[in-house]
Amino acid sequence: MMDIVPARFAMAGTTGREMKIEFAPELEAFRAEVAEFFATAPTPAIREAGRKTTSVFAPFKECMEWHRILYDKGWVAPHWPEEYGGTGWSVEQRFIFAEEYRKADLPPLLPQSLGMVGPLLIDIGTQEQKDRYLPGILNGDDFWAQGYSEPNSGSDLASLSCRAEPDGDDYIINGSKIWTTYAHHANRMFMLVRTSTEGKKQQGITFLLLDRIDYPGMEIRPIVGLDGFPEQCEVFFEDVRVPQSGRVGEENDGWSVAKHLLKHERGGGNAASPTLMRYCERARAAAEKTPSPFGGMLADDAVFQREIGELEADIASLGHFEKLAISGHEIARDPAFPSMNKTINSELVQRASVLMTQVSGVDGLARQLEALRVGSNVEPLGSEFDLVSMPLYLNSRATTIYAGSNEVQRDLIARTVSGS
Amino acid sequence: MDFSFTDEQQMLRDGVGKFLEKSYDFDTRQKLVNSDAPWSADAWQQFAEFGLLALPFSEEQGGLGGSISDCVAFAELFGKHLVIEPYLGSVMLAGSALAQSGHAAAQEWVEKIVSGEAVAAFAFEEGHGTASPELVAMTAQGSGDSARLTGEKRLVHAGGDADAIVVLAKKGEGGPLAFYLVEAGADGLDARAYTTIDGRSAANITFTDVAATELGTSEEAVEKLISEAIIVQSAEAVGAMGALVAMTGEYAHTRKQFGVPIATFQAVAHRLADMKIAYTKARATLIYTTALAESGAATPRDIAILKGQIGKLGRAVGEAAIQTHGGVGMTDELSVSHYHKRLLACDTTFGDHAYHFRKVGMG
Ligand SMILES: Cc1cc2nc3c(=O)[nH]c(=O)nc-3n(C[C@H](O)[C@H](O)[C@H](O)COP(=O)(O)OP(=O)(O)OC[C@H]3O[C@@H](n4cnc5c(N)ncnc54)[C@H](O)[C@@H]3O)c2cc1C
Repeated sequence: MMDIVPARFAMAGTTGREMKIEFAPELEAFRAEVAEFFATAPTPAIREAGRKTTSVFAPFKECMEWHRILYDKGWVAPHWPEEYGGTGWSVEQRFIFAEEYRKADLPPLLPQSLGMVGPLLIDIGTQEQKDRYLPGILNGDDFWAQGYSEPNSGSDLASLSCRAEPDGDDYIINGSKIWTTYAHHANRMFMLVRTSTEGKKQQGITFLLLDRIDYPGMEIRPIVGLDGFPEQCEVFFEDVRVPQSGRVGEENDGWSVAKHLLKHERGGGNAASPTLMRYCERARAAAEKTPSPFGGMLADDAVFQREIGELEADIASLGHFEKLAISGHEIARDPAFPSMNKTINSELVQRASVLMTQVSGVDGLARQLEALRVGSNVEPLGSEFDLVSMPLYLNSRATTIYAGSNEVQRDLIARTVSGS
Repeated sequence: MDFSFTDEQQMLRDGVGKFLEKSYDFDTRQKLVNSDAPWSADAWQQFAEFGLLALPFSEEQGGLGGSISDCVAFAELFGKHLVIEPYLGSVMLAGSALAQSGHAAAQEWVEKIVSGEAVAAFAFEEGHGTASPELVAMTAQGSGDSARLTGEKRLVHAGGDADAIVVLAKKGEGGPLAFYLVEAGADGLDARAYTTIDGRSAANITFTDVAATELGTSEEAVEKLISEAIIVQSAEAVGAMGALVAMTGEYAHTRKQFGVPIATFQAVAHRLADMKIAYTKARATLIYTTALAESGAATPRDIAILKGQIGKLGRAVGEAAIQTHGGVGMTDELSVSHYHKRLLACDTTFGDHAYHFRKVGMG
């Protein structure tokens, strides 16, 4: 895998100086320290959860336990500013951390809190909101759900209609949200509500923080996904009274708040390529133990090699793109950057998971929900790789749908290519 | 040449179609899949009454002497309704294997299968890459009525529930292939039953010195049997693809975003067009290959082309259907994801498209 990381990427192109891609020796010591921690700190259940993660969302309980361990170590939010609990690491250190994280097959931390609402509050929350919410996000006491989508407002998010009426110091909410990931585990929620129907539809939206998810009048119903697991939820509001102090930004200015947050959601604070390379490594390892129908092992099969080779080359390119971007290269300032990142990444996840199911073959056809649960005493029918590959494939059908579908992303990208 | 269904086939389609429409709607099917029953005994009985269980067998054997195109005629409807009953395994595969054998025990089982009294399973798959019979590694010791089987078979549809299992194995080390009959409950059988992602009952079965009756067969006969099963399975896949194209088109014309039906966005419209092209291409290859098989002219290459195309195009249609449905396409509640899982299963069983394309490429 990638062991050489540009040590001073910011130079090429921007200053005219030569780009160096060697690794400073002191970074190797850092890598060893990280690897050592990942080898010793996670409990067996956390490791199991990491190996059995078949979505971008890891199994909740073990994921939050791991969150806590990272918090205690001071490593839970490398991408946050140091004053708010970040690590103060260099770009290279963050990349090494991400690489070692993936190599150890640890459960990814859930994105909504550390990746979305946290950075948003750091950027534009009031001092009171920061004091009140950031500590719980960092230490994992709180878990936030993202309440944007509605049954009739998916790609056209601005058409949302879940309504909040001001009433004294409160808002009264009526309506519903859908596809709210892990709302059944969450204790807090950030959401978009309609506060005005006048003017352009974007202009009547407000961004709200709910400090609890069990207000009277709220109901949460999990939705079972095509992989057999409840991951998303429907959330219903009937005359739910919440304090106005949870508003971020001004009333009716929620659209710009949401757009700000979207940068964090699509831009992806965390590099995806190490995870994707890890999928390929796992597929390769499984292929070494799988006979090819054309003789020998699948890993030695020319067609398999061509396929995984093309995929790995594409993932490598994503890695290059990511490294340039985090170094502050101009490609990251391209207005189409978040959309390109999202499109490349989501389609590679799908391709990698297809390859995995091809390696699993018929062993991927068994429905093994019980065996997939962390701590299950049901033996998988085949290997752990076979157990995971099909649910991962099925779940990854969503990557081109959520966070703005790829059709919508391509429209955004295309707009930046036009002659104007 | 005439590639249309005959009047008789059309009548059969109408009858089976009406029955499934009435008694096998998606909600009923889901209740069945989520129940303890491996499949619907009532539906199976109905299939017997329609003559489906007797169709591929000769009249001397109590069958109707039907042809492969008769099976294709109704199998498309099985795909359209995501039927989970083990028709392919019990009738097309195990049943045909038994029917080929002159052994008296085999003939008795055929009668029971035809009447719907018994269900048989077909144990062929051994894990990866056993898409071709020549790759079967399981070996039988002994012969005749005192053969013994040791080894493992996987993804045996109805394997945990069948009354009899027909096993494909080699006659001794390096010997030719033969079918073996094993009765349910035989000593040394260890079936680990499960449900497949597409809702069917299956099992991985370990055989430890299990008493079996040799039914005999030839390599050609095995090849033909599997080719016909591939054709019928392809018909199911085409039926599932057709259902997806129809429901995705309907959804795209009613689902509104940005104030208009999503079908008006070119990205969506072109995807619908591609889905229709894929379906039509797959169906053309299915019907043409069926006609070839019926006239005895289908080569292994023709079958590999069919299997490869159905696998690839089916996956593409399923993925496009989910994408077009957005979030709802990702749910267990909607049939879309279940159609896709059936198509994945069709692609994977008997070798996936990559395998078959390579066969085609090898000439
Ligand atoms: C696994 C998963 C997790 C999610 N998590 C959350 C969450 O935590 N919180 C939350 O608020 N939401 C969440 N979502 C919702 C997600 O953001 C929406 O599903 C997404 O915005 C698409 O909306 P939709 O499902 O209504 O599809 P639709 O908008 O109805 O789209 C259907 C199809 O039409 C296409 N389409 C729509 N408009 C256009 C256009 N203008 N041009 C071309 N094609 C178009 C789409 O690309 C898609 O193929 C999640 C979704 C999934 C699947």
